[in-house]
Amino acid sequence: MSVVDIRKRDGLARTGFFAYRGEKKAFPNALDMLEAFPSLRERALSHVPLAVDPEFVRTWHRRGEEEPFSLHPLTVSDIPHGSCVMVPGWHTALANPSAYVDWLVALKEQVPPDTLWYAPAAALPGTAAILLYSGFDLFDFTGTDLKSAQNLFCTSEGIFPGEWLEKGLCGCEGCQEGDLRLHNRKALQQELALGSQFIAGGNLRELVEARCRMDAHQVAILRNLDTRFGFLEPRSPIVRSIPFLANSGDALSRVEVKRFAERVITRYRPPAADVALLLPCSARKPYSLSRSHRKFHAVVGRRAHELMITSPLGLVPRELEHLYPAAHYDVPVTGYWDREELHWVSSVLAEYLRRHSYRRIIAHLEGGALTAAEMAAEQCGVPLECTCTGPTGSKESLEALDRALKGERRVPETALIRGILSWQFDVEIDLRGMRLRSRGPEIYVMQDKEQLFSLSPDTGLFTPTFAGWRLLGEGYRVQIDRFIPKGDILAPGVVSADDRIREGDEVFVTGEGVRATGRAAMGAAEMLSSARGVAVRVRKVLKG
Amino acid sequence: MVFEEYEKPAACWAGIDSYKGQERKCLTIILRSGGCTWGSCLMCGYTHVRYGNRDPAFLDRKIRAQISWIKREFNLDDYSLVKIFTSGSFLDPQEVPPDTQQEVIRAFRGKVVILETRPEYVEEERVSILRETADTGMEEIPLYLAMGLETTHDFIREKSIRKGLTTSDFIGGAERAHRAGAGVKTYLLMKPPFLTEQEAIQDMITSAQEAWRWSDLISLNLCTVQSSTPVEWLWRNGAYRPPYLWSVLSVLSALDRPISCDPVGGGTPRGPHNCGACDPELVDGIRTYSLTGDHSLIDALLQVKCGCKEEWRYVLENEMSYSLPLTR
Repeated sequence: MSVVDIRKRDGLARTGFFAYRGEKKAFPNALDMLEAFPSLRERALSHVPLAVDPEFVRTWHRRGEEEPFSLHPLTVSDIPHGSCVMVPGWHTALANPSAYVDWLVALKEQVPPDTLWYAPAAALPGTAAILLYSGFDLFDFTGTDLKSAQNLFCTSEGIFPGEWLEKGLCGCEGCQEGDLRLHNRKALQQELALGSQFIAGGNLRELVEARCRMDAHQVAILRNLDTRFGFLEPRSPIVRSIPFLANSGDALSRVEVKRFAERVITRYRPPAADVALLLPCSARKPYSLSRSHRKFHAVVGRRAHELMITSPLGLVPRELEHLYPAAHYDVPVTGYWDREELHWVSSVLAEYLRRHSYRRIIAHLEGGALTAAEMAAEQCGVPLECTCTGPTGSKESLEALDRALKGERRVPETALIRGILSWQFDVEIDLRGMRLRSRGPEIYVMQDKEQLFSLSPDTGLFTPTFAGWRLLGEGYRVQIDRFIPKGDILAPGVVSADDRIREGDEVFVTGEGVRATGRAAMGAAEMLSSARGVAVRVRKVLKG
Repeated sequence: MVFEEYEKPAACWAGIDSYKGQERKCLTIILRSGGCTWGSCLMCGYTHVRYGNRDPAFLDRKIRAQISWIKREFNLDDYSLVKIFTSGSFLDPQEVPPDTQQEVIRAFRGKVVILETRPEYVEEERVSILRETADTGMEEIPLYLAMGLETTHDFIREKSIRKGLTTSDFIGGAERAHRAGAGVKTYLLMKPPFLTEQEAIQDMITSAQEAWRWSDLISLNLCTVQSSTPVEWLWRNGAYRPPYLWSVLSVLSALDRPISCDPVGGGTPRGPHNCGACDPELVDGIRTYSLTGDHSLIDALLQVKCGCKEEWRYVLENEMSYSLPLTR
C-alpha cells in the first residue's frame, strides 16, 4: 500500500509526497507508471469506457487487487485511504467537457481525499494544468510519446508540427539535440513543475485561466466546473494571502467570488445605520489605504454605512474590506462594465438592499458602478440620492457628499467586529464593552483588559482567543478523540467537525479535558474522511 | 389467383469470390426477413432490416417475392456461388419459415449456397433436407452454413460483442452441420470494442488458428461503426477506434492458411483505417489477397512506407486496457 502525504492544497489540486514499495516521490509528477506500478501490466481485457451504461459497468468494472485501483464514475468502489487510484480512459474525457465535470464530481465524491490520482494517457504540456486543477496527481508519458511517434511538437499552448522542434521555440535538451521525444517529455515535466509551484502558491486558478484559452474544451471544463458551487466550495480555502487576479470574465464565476457575495447577503449583519453610502472601489487594497478612500473617509467621518460597489465581488461593506478576496483582487480597469458584470453586481446589491433597509441610500458613484447601483435601486424600488457632479474625488462631488451627510448619526467603530464575526462565523454577539485597539496594521478587539479577537492583516479573518471563543456559540468546533494534542491535530484524531469549516478557517478544538485554538488545514469533510494529514494547526492548548 | 409478386431484397449484388482456390462469380443476397431474434450484438446495425410482422404466411409471401425479384433481375446461370444473409439467421424458423427456407434453396439448386445463421438453429435433420434440396451432384459441398464464431475467446465474445453464445455452442452447431453433410464457414470479428489494438490482433490470430478445427472456410470481418449501435455511441465518445489496416495485415501475415477478408468501409473513419494516405492501396491489396490467397502480397503490403506506421507501432506497444483508444 502506498502512503500519501498531501502538503499543499489549492481547490482540488494538491502537492506532496507518496511512497510505494519503499520509493518516495513527489507529486504532481509524470512517471513511467508501468515501472512504478508493475501490476498495471495485468489489466488485459479490462477496459470499461467512461461513456457507457451503468449495467455494463456493474457487470465488467473491476477495481483490481493492486494499486492503482480502477475507478469508474458510475459505480462506487471500496478504496482504502492512502492508495493510488486511476480513472481508466480519462484521456477521452477531455473532449467531452460536460461529461468530464459530471464524472469528476461523481469520482471525487466517492473516494477518500487522501488518495493519489492517476490520469492515464491524458497528460500533455497543454492539458497538464487543467488536469492538476481537476485534482489529478500522477501522469505518464503515453500522451507525449504518442505525439512524438506522430511527429508532433508539444508546448503548453497545444500541439504543433514536428518541424517546430527546429524553430528555436524552446531551449531544452531535447530541442538542442533534435530529440522530439525528449522535448515533449521535458515540456510535460516542466509544465507539471510549474503547476506544482502555482498549487503551492494558491494561484493555480490563474494559471488555468491563462492556459485553457487555446482549447475550447478546456474553457468549457473550467466553466462547467464553476457551476458546481456545492461541490467546489467546501473544497476551496476560505482565505489566501496572495493576489486574486480577476483578469477574465470567468473570474465572475469563481467560487471565492460567489461565496463572498453569498455570505454578504446571508450571513453578514450590518450595523444599525440610517444612511447607506455606496462608494467606488479603488485599485489599492484594502480600499482604506487608497488616496480616494482617505478623502472619502475625511469627508464622511463615519456618518454613513459605507458599501463599495465593485466588480467582480459585487458589494464589499467597509467592515469586510480586509477579507479575502476583497483585499486581494485585482481587475483590469477600462472604465467599461460589461453586461455580465452589471447584472451580477446589481443583483448582489439589490438582494442586499431587499434584506437591509436604510432611510437614505446615497450613491457617490460614477460610470459603471453608478449604473449598477441604479439598476439595483430600480429592481428593489428604493430611491437613490446621487452626490457626484463629476469624478467621485472632485472637490464639488466631495462637497456635495459632505452636505448630504450633514447631521447624520455616526456609525460606531465596533461595526467592524459585528461585520467580520457575522461573515466569518455566522454569529451575532453583544458588542457592549468592546473596543478596538490598533497597533500598526494589526487590530485587536478588547473587552475590559482582555483580548477577544485579533484581525489577521493578510486574510482579514478574526483570530479568537479562548475568551473570544466563549462568545461565539457552538460553531466552528472540531471535536477530537481522547488525547492531549502535542502540536498539530491530525485528521484521524478528529471525531467531528462543523461542516461549515473550510481550509484556513479559525476553529476551536474540544476534547476530553482539553481545549485548543487553531486554524483548519483542511475542510471539515476532508478532516472526517482522511486517515492522514494535519487537520488543524494548533495555536494554543488549554488543559482542564 | 396466380400472379407473381416482386419485392426488392434489402440488398443484392454480384461480385467475385474465391472458393477453394478459384475465383467464382458470386451473388450476394440480403433478404428482408422476420429479423434477428437475438438482436443484441453491440456493433450490429442491421436490427432494423426486418419486417415488422412475423406471421409465417406473411413472411413466406414476402420472401418468395424477393426471390422472384432476384430471378427477374439476375441471370442465375451466371453464378455458381450464392451467399444468403438475412441480417440474422436464415435457419431461424421465426425469421424464415421452414418451408420458405426450402423454397429459397430450391431457387439456387446446383450452386454452392452459403447460408448465414446462428448455431442454435442448426438442426441436423433440417440441414440434411436443405442440403439435398441444393444438391445436384455438381458440387462436392453444395451447402455451407456460415456462422459467426467471432472469436474463440468466450470472455471477449460476451463482453465485447454480447453475442449470447459460447465457443462450445458454436462447435455443436458446426458438428451438426457437418453431420448433415453441410460445410461450415466461420466468421471471425476483428476488434470489437473494449480491446486494445494488440489484444485485437492476438485474438484474431489465436481464433483463426483454433477455428480451422471446425471450419471449411474462414472469413475475417473487420468491425465497423454502424449507425444507431452501441459501438457508434462509443465511437462518438472517443471510446472506440476500428482496427488499423496495418493490424489486419499483421493478422493475415501471421496465419499459415489463407482466410478471406473484405475490408468493408476500409479507409473511412467508421471502418478499418490508417491515416488516410496509405489506406486505398492497403484496402485493395487485402481484397486481392482474399481472392488469391497470395501470402507474399501481405508481406509486401506490410512493407509499404507511411508516416502512420510509427504511430501504429507505438499504439501496439503502449495502448493499455485503461488507456484505449490512444488514437482516433
